[in-house]
Amino acid sequence: MEDCGDPCIKCEELLQPYVDRELTDEERIEAEAHLALCGYCARRYRFESTLRRYVRKCCEEQMPVELKEKLLALRTPLL
Amino acid sequence: MTEPEPETAARRIAGEARDRIRFEEDALQYADQVYRVARRLVPSREEAEDLVQDTYTRAFRSWRSFTQGTNMRAWLFRILTNLNIDRGRRNQRTPDLQPIEEGDYFLYNRLEETGGSEDEQVVEKLSQDGVVQALAAIPHDFRDVLVLVDIGEFSYRDAAQILDIPIGTVMSRLHRGRRILKHELAEQAVGQAS
Ligand SMILES: [Zn+2]
Repeated sequence: MEDCGDPCIKCEELLQPYVDRELTDEERIEAEAHLALCGYCARRYRFESTLRRYVRKCCEEQMPVELKEKLLALRTPLL
Repeated sequence: MTEPEPETAARRIAGEARDRIRFEEDALQYADQVYRVARRLVPSREEAEDLVQDTYTRAFRSWRSFTQGTNMRAWLFRILTNLNIDRGRRNQRTPDLQPIEEGDYFLYNRLEETGGSEDEQVVEKLSQDGVVQALAAIPHDFRDVLVLVDIGEFSYRDAAQILDIPIGTVMSRLHRGRRILKHELAEQAVGQAS
């Protein structure tokens, strides 16, 4: 087996759940066997995972203190 | 000091108050995550704050409908997404889907060309604002799924339950949402380069 080169539907279908750790053990082994042999998919996998992590990092944001206080005020008052 | 045995009803009320207080404390532990996701679901910070407050107001009011031992985080996010849908958004046109082609890999190729050896270095050429803007450009249905999975870190199964859609739909919307995201980011990258 060698690089798929052009994007192939099969890889595309496996890649996303692999990135998201949603494959069954059996499927994961299949995906990893392919990634070990296919440089193209391996690069794509690394890129997709990195992009996912980066998107999450870009969205890290602390809740404003005032909002936190408003939420605390919604609690049932202690007797 | 020797009180008479409390009546069953009184004990039940006290027990319920304890459960309720515990429930509220538990729910508030997810507030930062709820806020982070809300920020990406609606256009402005003010709307996100309102949405978070409404979510907790409703959650606290309907706490009895939460089944102990089930996934509280998913339960809260279900309230959040339902409230967001109720806010009368929707009816958005979804862009036509192009077949998988070079365009899909454009961002990857484009960023690789500009140098940087590690994927981290490559990806970090995208600005934080750029990523936030690109997320905002994704139509709601796709964005909801992407935000729950990528920012909320929910499994496909949980995202399906929260949004009340089949898992297959989660997967296809996620795929499409990420493609739109990459497309938006690629356009920004081109804009910067030229
Ligand atoms: Zn391949």
